Amino acid sequence: MIITNYMKNEHRECDTLFAKTEEAIAEGAWEVADQHFLAFTNETLLHFKKEEEGLFPAFEAQTGMSQGPTQVMRYEHEQVRNLISKMAEALGKKDKDASLSLAESMMILIQQHNMKEEQMLYAMCDRTLPPELKESTLEAMKSMLL
Amino acid sequence: MFSQNGLSLDQAPPLSVIFRFFFLGSLFGILAGVLLFFYQTEIFDASSTAALTFTHLLTLGVMLSFMFAALFQMLPVIAGITLTSPVRRANLLIYPFALGSITLLLGFNFPTLSWLYTLSAFLLGVSLLGTIIPMLSDLLKLQNHSFSSKGMAAALLSLVFVVLLALYLLASLSGYVDGSYYVPVKAAHYSFGLFGWIALLIISISFQVIEMFYVTPPYPKIVSMYLPVGILFLLLGSTITAFFIPDIWILSEILLALLLSAYALLTLKRLTQRKRPLTDATVWFWRMGLSSLILSMLSILILNFTELSLLKPLSYIFFTSFALSIVFAMFYKIVPFLTWFHLNSQGYFSAPLMHEIIHPKTAKKHLYIHLATIITFIASLFFSPFIFLAAALTILSFGWISYQIIHAHFLYKKTQKSGEKFDMGSMN
Repeated sequence: MIITNYMKNEHRECDTLFAKTEEAIAEGAWEVADQHFLAFTNETLLHFKKEEEGLFPAFEAQTGMSQGPTQVMRYEHEQVRNLISKMAEALGKKDKDASLSLAESMMILIQQHNMKEEQMLYAMCDRTLPPELKESTLEAMKSMLL
Repeated sequence: MFSQNGLSLDQAPPLSVIFRFFFLGSLFGILAGVLLFFYQTEIFDASSTAALTFTHLLTLGVMLSFMFAALFQMLPVIAGITLTSPVRRANLLIYPFALGSITLLLGFNFPTLSWLYTLSAFLLGVSLLGTIIPMLSDLLKLQNHSFSSKGMAAALLSLVFVVLLALYLLASLSGYVDGSYYVPVKAAHYSFGLFGWIALLIISISFQVIEMFYVTPPYPKIVSMYLPVGILFLLLGSTITAFFIPDIWILSEILLALLLSAYALLTLKRLTQRKRPLTDATVWFWRMGLSSLILSMLSILILNFTELSLLKPLSYIFFTSFALSIVFAMFYKIVPFLTWFHLNSQGYFSAPLMHEIIHPKTAKKHLYIHLATIITFIASLFFSPFIFLAAALTILSFGWISYQIIHAHFLYKKTQKSGEKFDMGSMN
């Protein structure tokens, strides 16, 4: 379960950063919110990159499923990217209501996405990828930079 | 699961399907409030027509409608099931269901017109079983089950029993069968309805949504794996045993009360462990619902050892508070999120934000109304004129929900009509 454990851990780190952003917005601490949001954005986008350029191609090559689960995940990544830019805009305007509202949407969207990955896709990757490929994919992902 | 991504727009059921069930449920709620002006505190006498009508208005009319709204939405998200032709399915269910429910309520109040029972049995039997059985069959065919989807299957199976047992009861009332098993069947109908259907569905959905909406640690595996199945087997075992030993329900109720209280305490603890420190109205709705469940189960437990007559109506009020509070909590997450999500996914720049659809302050106001409603119901046990206030507050509470649905619906339509749209096709 090395893939599941590694990726799941990244999800949790992103959740923590996002929760801190949300809390700072609620308190009106805009500078702190900006810092946490930047950290969240970087972590999330790097995580997406690891999936889209590392894990998903390995899974697709191994299973031959290129229009299945990974395609759905890519589509949902796009939705999150779109929401990140909207939220950055709201934070820039220091619009508390809009920021919290977008944060709520983001949280639900990301959580349902993460659940699909954690309960299904990562488990499928752990099951279908041969051990050496799993190791090399994991190492490649760890060395990726944004 | 992935070929059917529930929250991708092409697979999610149309918003109108979800909205119409929520709306129907709130109309039944308003009707319950209106009838309360006439029935008054007679609803607390379990053997009265008033209690029978009021209970079915809440469980069948309100709860089942709301839960169908949740099911149509949650089955794709939680279980990855795509409901084919959701609009057609919803229409085939909602009209006979609404008509059948009204006919049943009339039947309770005009028992000499036994054709009302026959008609309601036909309408409710066909529409409910015709919807639940395909849903259940889809769930059972799933290759990759989550704890939630397994629990939902157990809850739907309970609902099948509720309906089948109700059909026997109606056949007895209409004179088609002699009704020699009326008493044990009624006990099973009641227990499967409250514990097997309502409580089990809420529990199963909570395994997923508590973690998803509030970012909490997951439930311990032993709970999510065994609790729904445990409740279902307990109910099945008790139903069969009750034909020989009717008092078995006393033991089952004690066990169920302990299991549900443990679940409620665990969920309350999970809510204190959430990563998102912000507390919105929905967290309070959950807390109120779970505390009510504990109080209801406590009343049931004590009732087995005392003769205190007040405990029975108290257990009903708290159980109602449990079910409604959690349904409201779900409502205030589902309706704004889905409205935003559908419009956003359709590419509308001007898609209203969740807070513009239903503002957290609006949900908080409803929380106070709901809390006041429950308190006045309890107060009416001690000073009966409070029931009039409870009736008015019930109307206000469900009127409030109806208004939110209408508001969200019009906002959705308005954006679709006049909103500037981004051409998603140009991205590809």
